[in-house]
Amino acid sequence: MSETTFMGVERDKIDWKPVIDYTKCDYCLECTKFCPHQVFEVRESEELRLIVLNPNNCVVFCRACSKLCGPDALSFPDKNATTQRIKEIRKEENND
Amino acid sequence: MIEKHAILPCNGLDKCAGVISREIAIQLCENADHELICPVLYRTAEAKYHKIAAGYPLLVIDGCPTRCASKLAADKNLKISKKITVTEIAKSHHVEINSRLKLGENEHALIELILNELNHTDQKVESSSLVTKVLYDFKYATVQNGKFLFRVPTNPEIYFNENDCWAYVVGNRARIGVTDFVQQNLSDILYFTPPEPGAAIDQFGEVGEIESSKSVFEIISPVSGKVISINESLIEKPELINENPYEAGWIAELELTDFKSDQELLIGFDKYFEIMKKKLEDLNA
Repeated sequence: MSETTFMGVERDKIDWKPVIDYTKCDYCLECTKFCPHQVFEVRESEELRLIVLNPNNCVVFCRACSKLCGPDALSFPDKNATTQRIKEIRKEENND
Repeated sequence: MIEKHAILPCNGLDKCAGVISREIAIQLCENADHELICPVLYRTAEAKYHKIAAGYPLLVIDGCPTRCASKLAADKNLKISKKITVTEIAKSHHVEINSRLKLGENEHALIELILNELNHTDQKVESSSLVTKVLYDFKYATVQNGKFLFRVPTNPEIYFNENDCWAYVVGNRARIGVTDFVQQNLSDILYFTPPEPGAAIDQFGEVGEIESSKSVFEIISPVSGKVISINESLIEKPELINENPYEAGWIAELELTDFKSDQELLIGFDKYFEIMKKKLEDLNA
């Protein structure tokens, strides 16, 4: 599912996506099995076998994949900073 | 943990956190009258642990978020009474766990800390008990999706975020919960981790977790505030969230700190109902 807006803000203006720490990732792929939004893609033949393919599919403020990540290889942006940024964008757009 | 428990640890040899889980379980059983369940033997010789698993409240000790012990409990239809995850506790206390399996100074200190926390659990739950006397009256709109019915409250004092959580605002307080969309997607909810009583929660901050055999759901608070009450009945009966996530299955109550500002990023029934219906369509696609 690709969400086009979140709280009235275009999704691609909101920086919210998982970041993979490849020094920790053991390619168990629990994140890809869990995420119903096709955020990740597995590339068996490449060196980085797991990538964040569709960052804008990631549900803003959802961090469920990181909660299921055994080696703690997934991180997300700061929630407060993201909330503030969404408010700012809404204000900017209302002033336009 | 004064009461006798059955203890199901991770016991994993994949990570040091698993070794720590095993050590915690051993020490708990050595120092008090608890019963240990070996997860490996339980997979292959289930009958050995039938009596223990059915006879005592179950403490599950997961090493890491892969949750092997929790998943085993779910597979065996065991009701979890209490659950901890070693890596989460380590993170909250800023303890770095060894990347090798051998236990070092840090790991032994962490084991002691966790044992200490577990031994004070009973006292902690009692102190979180605060009852509010507000009458919550819900009116619902419903939508059918396949064989499942999804309710959404229509009350104007109930606000939603797009993360499928609601806040019923009365004066300077709000009762928080998840919507039918969450509980239907998770299916049978097996465990509830409440927020800390007294904790300050930011808008969109975590206000507890619920867990099924399928997944873990972080409850994303629609409002900012201080936790003044948790729904303690969910600790024994997390299935109340499946029965009705708005009434008996509410999560926590918050004393609001900046509701005026929070409102900017909240929606009412009309908008949330449309968003939820769209999510259901996407699930069916």
